[in-house]
Amino acid sequence: MRVGPVVVERRDAPSWSWTLAISALAVGMALTLAGAIFWSYGVPPLRAYGVIVRGTLFNARAAPEIVRNAIPLLLAGVGLVLAFRALFWNIGAEGQILLGATAATWVALFSPVPDAWKLPAMFAAGFVGGALWGLIPALLKLRFAVNEVISTLMMNYIALYLVSWLVHGPWKGPEMRGFAFTNAFPAAARIPTIADTRVHWPTLMLGLLLAAAVAYLLARTRAGFEIRMQGENPEAARYAGVDPLRTTMLVMVIAGGAAGLAGVGEVGGIHHRLLDPTQISLGFGYAAIIVAWLARGSPLAAIGTAAFLGLIFASGDVMRVALQMPARVTDVFNGLILFCLIGSERALSWRLRWAPGGARQPAAAPPETVASEAPGSDR
Amino acid sequence: MRVLRALLVVVVILTFAASGGAQAKLKVGFIYVGPIGDYGWTHAHDQGRKIAEKQLPIETLYVESVPEAQVEPFIDKLIQQGARVVLTTSFGFMDGTLAMAKRYPNIIFGHASGFKRNHNMFTYMADFYQVYYLNGLMAGALTRSGKVGYVGAFPIPEVKRHMGAFALGVRAVNPRATVHVRWLFSWFDPAKAKEATEALIAEGVDVFAFTEDSPTVVQVASKRNLPSFGHYSPMQRFAPRHVVSGQLVHWERIYIDFLSKVLAGRYTAENLQNVDYWWLLAEKAVELGGDFGVPVNPVWIPKLQAVKVQTREFGQISVYDLVNRRLAQMSRTPVAFDPFTGPIRDRKGRLVVPAGKTMTVAELTTMEWAAPGIVGPWPKEP
Amino acid sequence: MAGEWILNTIVRGIALGTPLLWAALGEVYAERSGVVNLGVEGMMVLGAFAAFALAQASGLPYLGLLLAAGVGALAALLHAFVVITLRANQYVSGLALTMLGLGLSALLGRRWEGLPLLNTLPEISPLTYGGLLLAGMLWLVLYHTRWGIILRSTGESPAAVDTMGLNVFLVRYLAVVFGGALAGVGGGLLSVAYRPSWTEGMTVGLGWIAIAITIFASWDPLRAATGAFLFGALFHLSFRLQTWVAPEPLQMMPFAVTILVLAVVTRRGGAQGVPEALGIPYTRGES
Repeated sequence: MRVGPVVVERRDAPSWSWTLAISALAVGMALTLAGAIFWSYGVPPLRAYGVIVRGTLFNARAAPEIVRNAIPLLLAGVGLVLAFRALFWNIGAEGQILLGATAATWVALFSPVPDAWKLPAMFAAGFVGGALWGLIPALLKLRFAVNEVISTLMMNYIALYLVSWLVHGPWKGPEMRGFAFTNAFPAAARIPTIADTRVHWPTLMLGLLLAAAVAYLLARTRAGFEIRMQGENPEAARYAGVDPLRTTMLVMVIAGGAAGLAGVGEVGGIHHRLLDPTQISLGFGYAAIIVAWLARGSPLAAIGTAAFLGLIFASGDVMRVALQMPARVTDVFNGLILFCLIGSERALSWRLRWAPGGARQPAAAPPETVASEAPGSDR
Repeated sequence: MRVLRALLVVVVILTFAASGGAQAKLKVGFIYVGPIGDYGWTHAHDQGRKIAEKQLPIETLYVESVPEAQVEPFIDKLIQQGARVVLTTSFGFMDGTLAMAKRYPNIIFGHASGFKRNHNMFTYMADFYQVYYLNGLMAGALTRSGKVGYVGAFPIPEVKRHMGAFALGVRAVNPRATVHVRWLFSWFDPAKAKEATEALIAEGVDVFAFTEDSPTVVQVASKRNLPSFGHYSPMQRFAPRHVVSGQLVHWERIYIDFLSKVLAGRYTAENLQNVDYWWLLAEKAVELGGDFGVPVNPVWIPKLQAVKVQTREFGQISVYDLVNRRLAQMSRTPVAFDPFTGPIRDRKGRLVVPAGKTMTVAELTTMEWAAPGIVGPWPKEP
Repeated sequence: MAGEWILNTIVRGIALGTPLLWAALGEVYAERSGVVNLGVEGMMVLGAFAAFALAQASGLPYLGLLLAAGVGALAALLHAFVVITLRANQYVSGLALTMLGLGLSALLGRRWEGLPLLNTLPEISPLTYGGLLLAGMLWLVLYHTRWGIILRSTGESPAAVDTMGLNVFLVRYLAVVFGGALAGVGGGLLSVAYRPSWTEGMTVGLGWIAIAITIFASWDPLRAATGAFLFGALFHLSFRLQTWVAPEPLQMMPFAVTILVLAVVTRRGGAQGVPEALGIPYTRGES
């Protein structure tokens, strides 16, 4: 197709610069739309964005908050990248986070683990907790053909009530005057933070390591090859002897475990106790779906997208305080950005080429492969 | 380049001018746990904020729906916006508020419903237990089936205390009546509140009280032509003929009292270590009624006057008069009557308040036992 | 006594089941055409707000529901455009729609919060019977008419429909928008009938339940009615039984039962109901 001197043609794999340019354009469009909504709410859009930028990026106290929000998003997000690569639609990271938090709390408060081993044991237990919670829907899907979107979603609710029961019943801490919290964790069970911030760096390190490890797994190992194959072409994978049960279980152990680690970070690094389930995670399990989606199947890209979403979370907070807007403004913001980003994905499989005059026509469009490369675009 | 610098100077001046103008008034920041539209706890705090802003030379800021883990960064942001006083309104904010009070020793902090204080952090609470007792007296008189219902949000001491006071009131008028309990495990969930109320109706309950941040229980009861008691906000408008009375709060009483003392220089960031507002009927921080200024819905007064009870203190008396007498007794300082005065045995028969003793504030805020007459699950019952 | 119990549970199941049924029927049709819409919660909450606002202003709850249908359809149109025309991922778009719906309705709805509604619909209203009737009609259309064949084929094998000379995109657009309208009505029923008032986020997760019911019902309108009423009854029972059983396990019950029933139903071959092309964007010229 030709628009004046510019040729629009298809391409197989978009370059990084093109991806970034299109994504920036999409975010710009979302900001424009959100600006219109702010305006109708009586807040001039330019002022709003000025306040947001000053309140997040150029603010010594707010910048670490972006990182703190990004930690659980990264852990859960990397896990979901892997799950989505295997075409397992895990909506249940929220529940897996809760189970990780629960297991870590058990280690912190009720296990005989010596102090020196408390933190490693909490992370290990959290991983196992999340992994077990993630395995159930995997088994349900492969043994009973239960749709994973629904089972993982239902498992979130079950985890919610489980934690609620623990903090109202057997684990309710006598220190808390009968309110629904466990006792505070002992000092040995608190994850250290960077100086004056709430950035619990060991969890952050785990997240970065995990992203690297999953990237390695996908790119360089036999198991990773099988996972990719199952995600890209389940039929062919079956012929090649890939055991869907084994790959799915492996994927969900890692994805659930990673989300569990995020839960450990939240209770061990932020709250220092188990509390009402709706307060443990700020919807990180759901937001991690966005992180994973925007990362387009790349575990390393999830580091960037988790940071981006951390920024969005922080921006919403700034709007609420500095502009006195309702709490749900964050949802409007997130929704619009997400719509524009996924809406712009089509543009990624095209490119513009400057070809004035009678330059050569593009060759016949190569078969479009982007749709099937992207995780989850077919099943 | 020069133009740019000039522009920068202008911007800086404008920024400072804007913030300088605002600093003339005392800025007070509020942190809420729920949405202000919930028509319950947070809505009531927000009403209090608005009234205080109208009556005092202050400027207020608020943030709604703040998760417990986020209280510290939000306090940071409020202070950056110029807040000199920060009030946090949920028990779960306690430790975060204290940590920030230590980090900002010159800012004044206030925490609702908690028990930790600092030289620059006070605590406050407007409690309903007396009002629930009065509601209980009326409920005991109005039930025909002998079954009264209570839909509770969470089994925590505050709600258990309110149920206990309510049940003691019911039993004071109707010694054989029972109070049937349903738990929602949610502060706001209309669907749960609705089905819990329907479950109680199916069980034969015919009068309702509750703790949930929406008028759902009132609406459901009204559809079945059954009386109920409003909670936190004026809910009589949702069921003008069926809301008998209820509990109303005036957080502004506490806010205005405290903030005017701050403005007058009596309270500073140095002397709040022992400032704890535990305000009840006598301080007018809470009010009996389903709408402001209407302690008992006139529609129900004749019915309440028709029911007579025998009391040790007043002899034969109508329930309506008893409610008014008790209300007067509790509105006086010092209070002449307290529902939690012994001897009281819990529903298992254990003596929990010995004869002649009245429960202290510390005992009330940690209360776990179930009052006699309560039927239903009671997590963590001693 | 037992009779009273059973009768009461059925009535409560129908009362809460009605809004769920409307939303689930919409999702059944959308998914039958091959498009998953996880934005039911968002469409329902927008519908709830729209219905309440107009019913409040006009005193006519039915008019409010009509607007709710329109608003739900409009929200679904956005999803349709993004996933059908732009071929974006359906799960992610649905999540975005849920966020947008919850956010927009909260921002716009501020003024209406805490207002009573004088003219309400009863819980068991003509729309309850209407919902049942609709379920029957949609079942008939789906399995016994040419339209139904086209709809099902679009979800099973869009390429085949395309070669028949029919417009796959149009069928999907219509199904998704129709589904949005029904979800809007479902949400509206919450705010003008089930619990007549408006508060932001008042759908409290019922939209997700509607999606669960859709799958539970194997994309069959009549089974969706059963699923909706069953869930309503279970939800109610979890409060009815609290006197005897600790509350927390009971609160988990509807969710756990959904998984269990799903396991049993799909094992018996119900999984054959899954539209083959569900979740896959269609491109002309590709299979």
